[in-house]
Amino acid sequence: MKKWLVLFLMAVFVFVLAACTASEDAGTDSSEEGSADSGGEKTLFMNNGEEPTSFDPSIGFNAVSWGALNNLMEGLTRLDESSQPVEATAESIDVSEDGLTYTFNIREEANWSNGEPVTAGDFVFAWQHMLDPETASPAAFLAYFIEGAEGYNNGEGAVEDVAISAEDDKTFVVKLTEPTEAFLNIITNPSFFPIHEATATENPDWHTEADSFVGNGPFNLASWSHDEDFVFEKNEEYWDAENVNLDKVHWAMVNDPNTEYQMYEAGELDVSSVPAEMSEQLQDSPELGTMDQAGTYFYRYNVEEEPFTNKKVRQAFAYAVNQDDIVQYVTKNGEKPAYGFVSYGFEGPNGQEFRDEAGELVKFDADKAKQLLEEGMEEEGWDELPPVTISYSTSESHQNIAETLQDQFKTALDVDVELQNVEASVFLTEQKEFKYQLSRSSFIHDYADPVNALESFITDSSMNRTQWSNEEFDQLIAEAKAETDSAARWETLIEAEKILMDEMPIFPIHFYNQVQLQKEGIEGILRHPVGYIDLKTADKN
Amino acid sequence: MGKYILKRFLMMLVTIFIIATLTFFLMHAVPGSPLESDRNTNETVQANLERFYKLDQPLHIQYLSYMQSIVTFDFGPSIKDPNRTVNELLARGFPISFELGMITILVAVVSGIILGTMAALRHNKMIDYAAMAFAVIGISIPNFVLATVLIQQLAVNWNLFPPATWTSPMHMVLPVLALATGPMAIIARLTRSSMLEVLTQDYIKMARAKGIKPMRIVLRHALRNALMPVVTIMGTLLAGILTGTFVIEKIFAIPGMGKYFVDSINNRDYPVIMGTTVFYSAFLIFMLFLVDIVYGILDPRIKLHKKEGDV
Repeated sequence: MKKWLVLFLMAVFVFVLAACTASEDAGTDSSEEGSADSGGEKTLFMNNGEEPTSFDPSIGFNAVSWGALNNLMEGLTRLDESSQPVEATAESIDVSEDGLTYTFNIREEANWSNGEPVTAGDFVFAWQHMLDPETASPAAFLAYFIEGAEGYNNGEGAVEDVAISAEDDKTFVVKLTEPTEAFLNIITNPSFFPIHEATATENPDWHTEADSFVGNGPFNLASWSHDEDFVFEKNEEYWDAENVNLDKVHWAMVNDPNTEYQMYEAGELDVSSVPAEMSEQLQDSPELGTMDQAGTYFYRYNVEEEPFTNKKVRQAFAYAVNQDDIVQYVTKNGEKPAYGFVSYGFEGPNGQEFRDEAGELVKFDADKAKQLLEEGMEEEGWDELPPVTISYSTSESHQNIAETLQDQFKTALDVDVELQNVEASVFLTEQKEFKYQLSRSSFIHDYADPVNALESFITDSSMNRTQWSNEEFDQLIAEAKAETDSAARWETLIEAEKILMDEMPIFPIHFYNQVQLQKEGIEGILRHPVGYIDLKTADKN
Repeated sequence: MGKYILKRFLMMLVTIFIIATLTFFLMHAVPGSPLESDRNTNETVQANLERFYKLDQPLHIQYLSYMQSIVTFDFGPSIKDPNRTVNELLARGFPISFELGMITILVAVVSGIILGTMAALRHNKMIDYAAMAFAVIGISIPNFVLATVLIQQLAVNWNLFPPATWTSPMHMVLPVLALATGPMAIIARLTRSSMLEVLTQDYIKMARAKGIKPMRIVLRHALRNALMPVVTIMGTLLAGILTGTFVIEKIFAIPGMGKYFVDSINNRDYPVIMGTTVFYSAFLIFMLFLVDIVYGILDPRIKLHKKEGDV
């Protein structure tokens, strides 16, 4: 009998030892990287949070993929320091007079990391791949500006109908359905990056491992150990390689903000986000940087559900919200309070911020709120306000804001509201099914244009989720999209936002921002209100 | 013995079957879909995806094909991460979680027994008080709190160990400490109390009277019997440590299985939920099965009783 025990214990031991040796190998890998670093190479240590969803540019449509893709590959345009799109893989861009046809002339010296030239065919291949309904790319809707794109993507049209073509190896032509001012900005999104056709045809899984990955950006994918880390090294084939300063970038995948910060403190990361608990303590740190992020934290009414069927009641609740107090005492992360829906970061044809021109459309005013509520209740003939429940997806920060709103409604309107938290995935489903009266929401821009934010609320848009429908508003958005004159377009959008903030199917709370810590000596990392982290010109001294 | 093991083994299969069935229906009862996203993809694309993942078929067909996937141990591709199959995720994450769990158990058992024995032998002396104070603290502090404190002190302030990730033996020290402290404290307390009991037994007095060396009495005579309660709770501890790794893995950015387990539920990633749940419960049940067998080996009396009772 004893033999049994001995055998069992030995088996456990062998298991453990075998497992140990496996990870010791991994250990030697990283120490090699470490020693290379001390040899005078510039290695930047970043954190990606988690495993990138995919390095197939059509599939990796989220922040954890964009951060890497934007540096591994390059589209026709790229955002510069002032977040404006400039020529990248394209050397020059010709736009037809009606604003519908774009001709991109691709650089002679633009090469893939395997040394082959980047061709117009690679772009045609990649964009068709994105629109192919079989690919099921979550990014495809961004390409609906292109003639024939929507039809092909929803299965009604054919791939030949998509108006993209390679006139020759270095000339790529695109025809749009409407003059879209933001088009050159939209195509800075990684889903519009080219794909090396020969590689992808031969091996459809080319993007899943570092060995088979072929890119055309400032960096190459040197290694990728899934769910652990990945490493970039400078791409010598890149057309602008002489302006790339870093030799390597090491990306960890640390998903806990406290751990990330502690690694930063211990010197294992050069850049870190700020854990919520630390934001107050760190707000004066010289290593802290803040940047706008185009997007809005807001609440949606269900306009088909009492009491929010009444416009004045909606307005009353909106004016009862003290946005300043929320950013100052609740979120405490340096966000800007939102007095309108469209966030900062968009300059009009006259160089003015959209937000400044559109002005403050809703701002805390307890007296006005009280009065509006009375008027609204009178209109409806209510002696008592129908019960109100605020719903939010489970998270500490959402809860803090919801509790503050509960308190502010009580103070300003003398209304008691219930709170309800719901698990995130259920919340999303039920919000789309209009199951909530008043629910927490957020919007992050897909592309850098105010119309992207406003078009969410056209009738039956999947982003609407309020059951609100307004013909005049729909009309203005349609006009803005067809307008070729920038100034007139801008005016139309400002007018549309006024309607939105008057009808008030939603009320805004604050705009988003990007806050990060960065060690001294790190320079040139570009971040944009709408866009992806750019390490092309980053440097470490 | 053989019959007993066979019976336990069959029970094990039934348990796994029940867990798998419950998980399947609970998972589908929860609102939300793996294909739900903040943006709406168009209907054709949605239909393509549903067809690909067989979500368009009636529930009982899905259930059958999923039962088949358990038998063949092929759970298909993840929905959130279509480039990878569930089997790949398991093959990647499990060895790491297993390694972390096993090292933790070894550390907890060995140090817990030593600590408990020392406390019992020096009953009501300094060592006893110190060890038990340590044990109470160890039991009271949740491992995720301990983890953060350890990182802050040992990694950030004193720079002795790397704060996170899983790349070298040095990286293992902090997570293992964080995870092992609680179970170690429990084992130490148990060992101490049962050791105290055993030390007053007649056969120990007899051994002393015979002039056997004290060390030999402790190791050969006392400890063997004192360890029975420890083996009894090993099953519970194992479960505790394995689920504890979820939190610890996240804090220390260890690429183990915990992440897939938790994320899959948040994402409603059906194949991954099923794969991780079934795999994990099967593993856990198997470990409990092993503990039971070891238990029988350690104490011949129990095995005999069970055998008589069962047959």
